[in-house]
Amino acid sequence: MLSIKNLYKSFGQPGIEVCVLDSLSFEMQPASSVALLGESGSGKSTLLHLIAGLDKAQSGDIEFAGQQLSSLNESALANMRRHQISLVFQQFHLISTLSVFDNIRFQAALCQRFDNAFEAQLIDRLGLSSLLKKLPHQLSRGQQQRVAIARALLHKPKLVLADEPTGNLDEQSSLEVMAVFTDLVKSAGSSLLMVTHSKEMATFMQRSVLLHNGLLSDI
Amino acid sequence: MKQAILKALLSHYWRHPWQALFLLLGLTAGVGLWSAVQIINHHAEASYAQADSLLGVQANYWIRNRSEQGIAQADYIELRRAGFRQIFPVIEGQVITPDGQLISIIATDLLALRQSMPEETVDQTFNGIDNWLQLVQKPYRAWVPQQLADEFALIQGDQLQLRDGRQLPPALIQAQTQQGRRIFMDISAAFTLFDTDQFNYITVGQLTTEQFDLLTSLLPDSLALVQNQQQLDLSELTQSLHTHLSAMSLLSFAVGLFIVFNAVRFSLWHRRETLMNLRLMGVSVKALISAILFETLIWSLIGTVSGVICGLTIGNWLLPGLSQSLFNLYGATIDAVIALQSETLLLAWGITLVGLLWALAWPMYLQLKHDVLDANSPTLRHQAENSSRQQLALFSLPLLIMAFILFQTMETAVAGFALLGLLLFAAAWLLPTLLALGLKFAQVCVPKQRLIGRWMVSDGWSQMPAFRSAMMALLLAMTANLGVGTLVDSFRSAFIGWLEVRQNADIYVNSSQSNIVQLLASEQAPGKTSLWLADSHRQIGITTRWKDQPTLVNGADTRAPDSLRFPLAQWLGDTPDDALALWRDNSNYILANEQLHYLGGLKLGQTIQLDTDQGPVDYKVVGFFYDYGNPKFQFYLSYEEVAKRWKYHYSRGTALWLKPDSTSNGPSSRQQAEKSFLANGINRADWISQDEIRTLSVNIFERTFAITAAMNSLTLIVAAIALLASLLAIMQERLPEFAQWRALGVNTREQFLIICSPLLIFVVIAWLLAIPLGAVLSWLLIQKLNIVSFGWSMPMLWKMAPAWQLGGLVLVIVIVTLLLSLLQLRRRLPDALAELGELS
Repeated sequence: MLSIKNLYKSFGQPGIEVCVLDSLSFEMQPASSVALLGESGSGKSTLLHLIAGLDKAQSGDIEFAGQQLSSLNESALANMRRHQISLVFQQFHLISTLSVFDNIRFQAALCQRFDNAFEAQLIDRLGLSSLLKKLPHQLSRGQQQRVAIARALLHKPKLVLADEPTGNLDEQSSLEVMAVFTDLVKSAGSSLLMVTHSKEMATFMQRSVLLHNGLLSDI
Repeated sequence: MKQAILKALLSHYWRHPWQALFLLLGLTAGVGLWSAVQIINHHAEASYAQADSLLGVQANYWIRNRSEQGIAQADYIELRRAGFRQIFPVIEGQVITPDGQLISIIATDLLALRQSMPEETVDQTFNGIDNWLQLVQKPYRAWVPQQLADEFALIQGDQLQLRDGRQLPPALIQAQTQQGRRIFMDISAAFTLFDTDQFNYITVGQLTTEQFDLLTSLLPDSLALVQNQQQLDLSELTQSLHTHLSAMSLLSFAVGLFIVFNAVRFSLWHRRETLMNLRLMGVSVKALISAILFETLIWSLIGTVSGVICGLTIGNWLLPGLSQSLFNLYGATIDAVIALQSETLLLAWGITLVGLLWALAWPMYLQLKHDVLDANSPTLRHQAENSSRQQLALFSLPLLIMAFILFQTMETAVAGFALLGLLLFAAAWLLPTLLALGLKFAQVCVPKQRLIGRWMVSDGWSQMPAFRSAMMALLLAMTANLGVGTLVDSFRSAFIGWLEVRQNADIYVNSSQSNIVQLLASEQAPGKTSLWLADSHRQIGITTRWKDQPTLVNGADTRAPDSLRFPLAQWLGDTPDDALALWRDNSNYILANEQLHYLGGLKLGQTIQLDTDQGPVDYKVVGFFYDYGNPKFQFYLSYEEVAKRWKYHYSRGTALWLKPDSTSNGPSSRQQAEKSFLANGINRADWISQDEIRTLSVNIFERTFAITAAMNSLTLIVAAIALLASLLAIMQERLPEFAQWRALGVNTREQFLIICSPLLIFVVIAWLLAIPLGAVLSWLLIQKLNIVSFGWSMPMLWKMAPAWQLGGLVLVIVIVTLLLSLLQLRRRLPDALAELGELS
């Protein structure tokens, strides 16, 4: 489903370049989950951005769902994200002017893919039933993150990319959210690639990889 | 400590130079437009103060012929021989260029003038003229101001060609104080140019009591010594025009202030983290306020300097048109070179500071009133936005009440403009509430299942804080544009209709009385059928003062074609014809212009008393006639009555109606008329055709309103800048959000629609509000302000076409500003996408 070959990415100007990803290769199967670990600044978020088509590598190939990302233009990349990829960040980036219910339905509405039964399941499992009419600024951080997760999963994307999704939450809340999150990802039939610093969070995943010196290795 | 705080706060502008640019732009635009008008007004007032001086010589009195027929050279020579060295003869006249521009010529005895001057005045007046004798020796010189020379592309020695084929003497281009657009020359050159041997009047300098008595005793009965009141008259006559300009400049300043308000709000928003961190580090709110006030002081100084420089530039650009209008309408001459007065600079700094404090105080209060950590809370920001909207709406209510009270009691132009200001600001402050209602309505209109559609509309709530000020500025600019546009269109329509009635003769002759009398006598002799003359109307008049204002009393042939169609605004009786019949049949019935009614307080049917040579005589007012463009009071009596009551009446010109051309190939009536004129000693410069006089009048009208149009356009440009600043602010503020949308799969087109849809809703609401508000503004300007300012009434001509045109123009502005801001977004989005997931 996701195949990365010889990916090279560096920052800075020629001569003072900082290489972040160096001939990185990686494979991910459908309906799998991978924890991406690494030190701060090791390039975890960069890798996520490259996979989502938010950034471009200097060389190498990323193939997702049979398509070479380098061959897609901005519009096609947006279309790919809309239908097949969801992103969950530490900041929830909910749409402040829409209600919780509308936020949950947002990406599903973008790609016109609704599953009412799954929607009910998401709302129930994430404990959002009583909050549906509220606006994002009326929610706690934990509640906002749960809305973001529901939004990311409702249209059942092929791949969910999560960048420290519980980084803003306390430990107890993080564990609770993570348990529900991984469970719901499975229900959606999606794959999950999650950046985390926490080995404890990584235990929720089927596989863990470490990004170090621009290369990935299984741990 | 204080230095560190200031450094922390001001360093923001190094990192975000375009924010500093917009703040500076708002200040410069607002202060620039305001100070341009202030500089012009002060400049004009200073010129009026010198109105009674000519080439550095003070004119305290004038010697005029009681019948305004001119003064013989012998009378002047006699007075000089009697020892009066402070008297100078003057010939004043106007010439018309081939492109129909009126130029004023003023001629005096330059030799006598120079000899009577103290040496320092001579240096000052004739400074820069190499050989001043060339002015008084054949072929003489036309002393042309630099500005006029530039306008007509004249270089030294060029001879300005006139419409009638004559030429002025070779040009001597030299700037001279208080010259305005007038051309000076020696009296001998003027004798030739105007083909006359008489002076128009003699100016008289300072006189001792003995000299005054002696001069009065020496003057023949036909000449009168008149005190010069020109300075006083000009100040009074032009006051309304300057008030109008000041009001427009204040509106521009207010619109500019909205940009400042937006820029300050945005810069404070951007620095909210810095402010919060400073407070966390123990900096007191008081210290922060002091630092921000200091920053305000710096900005006020920078804004004042750049604004005044901009104002000087705009002032210099607007001055030629305005000075020409002032001259054409009021006979006022203002200097071509603008000087900046220190009081204007201080005033500009004062209002900049007050404006900045006003723009800064509210957002700063919102930012600092919360507890340290709450300051950035989205909930509090949401609440603050709601409450500020409500507070603005509440503040607008007292403004509306004050406007209503003022409307009931309004008697002066200043009160009228205060009323307009209150009304415009009340509407501007109500606008955010109307925008919110519009958004709610739009949300209701979008079907529930159209989530993306609802999102596009609901995003307006996020855009509202940034657009609020820009929309207020746009509303003010659009309202002013529609209101003033309707005023100008209504005036143009009324004025042109009025010209057609008042100036319906084919030719107007303004020659000496004897020549025209001779001509009419020969053409209308009993038993003779003129080949070209169908009818004539010779008018006479006298100049007097009524309620201490310059007033004309005209004597008209009550049965002449134009008298039968006198355009009356109010009349006694059932129809205007009834009133005109009364006036025709009763020599003690009088017609008065509207100015006498509205500004002079005269009532229909009232009996007034005029001082005649035969003592006071009572006249009953039977009608008020439209008299557009005339700043003076004017009465009309019958020709016979004026001739009988005032010995020294003078000719006010003769209107001639030509017979229709015969079908044969002979000369046209006009050609025959012109031949007769020349045969009777009437020069080409003494007559003007209907087309020419109408073109001249319309040109004066258009020029007068050109400054209004320029101010309107500039205000609209300032509003467009406010809109662009807001859009760029939104792009900057919400960049992380936009990047997140991209990450969700929102494409460029959708993103464009999300940004556009609420903006279009806002603009449409502002435009819809501007239409009735513009109508109210124009109604107040036409029905109230115009009347209390100038004494002219006219029907209001409201059309929707200008509103549609303005809507189209604003749409173009919106599209251009959107494209500019989207280009900015496109440039910055990749960085924002790369930063996704990082703590903002």
